[in-house]
Amino acid sequence: MEAREWLEQEVSKCVYCGFCEAVCPTLHAGGHRGYGPRGRINIIKKIVRDGEEPTPEALNSLYTCLLCGACDLQCPVGIRIAQAIREARPLVNRMAQERGLRITITPALKRT
Amino acid sequence: MVDPLRLGRMLADNTLRHGYPLPVDPQVITGWAAEAGLPQPRPGRPVVFTGALYQLTPYIEALVELVGRFRDPRIPSLGLRLASSLPWSSELLLTLLETPEVARGVRRAWGILGSIARLLREAGMRPAYAWEADLYSGIMLYDLGMDEEFAQQAQRVHKLLRERGVEKVITLDPHTTHALRDLYPRYVDGYGLEVQSYLEVIDPSLISTKGEAGEVTIHDPCLYARKAGVVEQPRRILAARGLRIREPQMSGVNTYCCGGPIEGLAPRLSRRIAETRLSQLERASKTIVTLCPICNANLRAAAGGRGDLRILDLAELVGNA
Ligand code: SF4
Ligand code: SF4
Repeated sequence: MEAREWLEQEVSKCVYCGFCEAVCPTLHAGGHRGYGPRGRINIIKKIVRDGEEPTPEALNSLYTCLLCGACDLQCPVGIRIAQAIREARPLVNRMAQERGLRITITPALKRT
Repeated sequence: MVDPLRLGRMLADNTLRHGYPLPVDPQVITGWAAEAGLPQPRPGRPVVFTGALYQLTPYIEALVELVGRFRDPRIPSLGLRLASSLPWSSELLLTLLETPEVARGVRRAWGILGSIARLLREAGMRPAYAWEADLYSGIMLYDLGMDEEFAQQAQRVHKLLRERGVEKVITLDPHTTHALRDLYPRYVDGYGLEVQSYLEVIDPSLISTKGEAGEVTIHDPCLYARKAGVVEQPRRILAARGLRIREPQMSGVNTYCCGGPIEGLAPRLSRRIAETRLSQLERASKTIVTLCPICNANLRAAAGGRGDLRILDLAELVGNA
């Protein structure tokens, strides 16, 4: 199966339960839900499935994932979340190149 | 402020040109093996493959610090200008990175690699080393989504190893293990290497029991614990040396990442994650054992030179008995 097709299938399974969020290190420290697995899955959906242009904050979100896989163990529908985020990156890179988008990572942090 | 594609481009260009993500002298990467007395590859012998990660980690740390300094909020405009002009030429960058501290870091890495070689011998193995083939695995390129460049590096490493008759590879860290075992087969036609981490090939019952007694805690790297199923092996090796293990909050498959994978792209976020992990670990013990140079460096950076903590690679703790 092509990466894009796999990715679309995978992210479409999300039921937004949020079980994955409790264990995500970047969500604990990041400024908003976009720094968690559910947020990232949602962003991939918008970009890959709905063809939306990635916003700077969407890119922050995708590139700050640690690919640590903690979330995978929590997902009741078995989405391979970390793998999906990894697979989204080459697609986003290509999009950025084609559309001349500059990707800069300046993540929002939680206030302490 | 960090553009992953630009950073990735520099890493990729260097990797494809020099074999390593920075144009370091190959001696920095391979010099430890001569010291450890490893022979060239021979039929039937496994080959130790470092993927350069231990040796390059001091450079990566220095690079992150350098970028961080240019982002100092006290000098915003200058910081911004300088940071946005990074990366400059890799050679210039390398000159800035070659500090006495980095040299000390490389020495320490060599010590760890030598200790791992001794551990392997103690467990009855006769490892060899393929000087010209021990290149960077390319894992950072994969993580950044640069699949074509990663594929090129994977094919090159595979070819170099196969040309030297290598069939079995012993890897030393979770990222290189993941690259060679799980990813290379997808990017290299006719992939024919059997890959195991040194922690998987060492039989702890063959390890001598003399060593440092005491209590330690252990930080499981995400890829070892959740991908490779390497959880019990390091614990058995530590126990064989007489060390008692106190499990931290979040261990084994439920481990908590050290933040290392994003230290280059998002240093402040990465640091916060490392601080969280460090506080979980130090509640279990003030001696923290790591199994990956990136975890070690990131946790040490979060500890900020605190004298009451020891953050040691497993090989530093058990490799010298
Ligand atoms: S893989 Fe990414 S999204 Fe999942 S827990 Fe780790 S940092 Fe969070
Ligand atoms: S646990 Fe799985 S289904 Fe639930 S929000 Fe996270 S990704 Fe979606």
